Amino acid sequence: MAPGFDRVGLRVQEVLSHAAAPLTYGALSAWMRFGRRYRIPNLREVRREFAAQAWDRPGPLLICANHLTLIDSLVIQWAMTSAWRLARRRRAFAWNLPDRQNLARHWWWRVVGYAGKCIPVVRGGTPEQTRRTLDKVAWLLERGQSVLIFPEGGRSRVGRVDREGVSYGVGQILQAVPGARVLCVFLRGRGQEAFSDYPARGETFVVRMERVAPSTSSAGMRGARDLAMQIVGRLSEMEARYFDDLAGHR
Amino acid sequence: MDHAAALGKVVAIIKPFAKNTQALEAATDATRIIEDLGVNSARLVDIILAFEDEFGISVDDESADKVHTVGDAVQMILQKTAAGG
Repeated sequence: MAPGFDRVGLRVQEVLSHAAAPLTYGALSAWMRFGRRYRIPNLREVRREFAAQAWDRPGPLLICANHLTLIDSLVIQWAMTSAWRLARRRRAFAWNLPDRQNLARHWWWRVVGYAGKCIPVVRGGTPEQTRRTLDKVAWLLERGQSVLIFPEGGRSRVGRVDREGVSYGVGQILQAVPGARVLCVFLRGRGQEAFSDYPARGETFVVRMERVAPSTSSAGMRGARDLAMQIVGRLSEMEARYFDDLAGHR
Repeated sequence: MDHAAALGKVVAIIKPFAKNTQALEAATDATRIIEDLGVNSARLVDIILAFEDEFGISVDDESADKVHTVGDAVQMILQKTAAGG
């Protein structure tokens, strides 16, 4: 692995993020619950399931989710764990990889991003930038941490899991850290029709998760594509089941 | 294989991924795959893998990173086929 990134910087960010978590995570949770009136109806069950699926044993965990709004990672983090558990269990606070442009919108987003364990990425960046990001993620995973990524490579412009934009970076990460477990998370607001910056005020979220063990006999880019497409395929299946269930309830 | 034949095959491979079909029809060596043809950058990998399948070559990451234009692709293919893959 190329030593092309600042490991000390990431360690410092990790320590500071965890120290600030009661304040930042508490404030963001309050903003979502009371400011935006967001709701996850079966939150306790969802957290129990996360605990069983994600935190049942140590080791690297790659959380792969579908992507429709700018705050999906925040909502997923909220769904995954409570503030007190976050303070106690470092792995329950996942790193995530937002688009650098989104974080650059406001200075406070940069602060929240830093405190939220964000590693800003340049979408469509140079191969060197992409490689550096992949190296960072692989390094964090090798240290047994959790990383949340959106394999679609950005918010889906079609309102559904979008195979067109799929980046094979997730496959390259799994090739670099073959022992990483993969947890697919499907998140969708019940009123969410298409992509947006924020979910609508008062939105109710559905959160579902499934472990997946992607595998391939191919190496290199072909192998990365195989792995990535298995993950996106699973997210797509989870989405299809969600819409089937929705249709069944009508 | 000569340059024109390789160019024709490269254009045919890129076609399903190109949003700007007019630019593709008039493609030259200088045509940029992402900027001019409107190919999603994430799909470049699929195009490179299709080159491998079509021409029976193996493209490493370093070579793939150097492919920006149609001409880059043609040149890489001609070099690799001449070298026996």
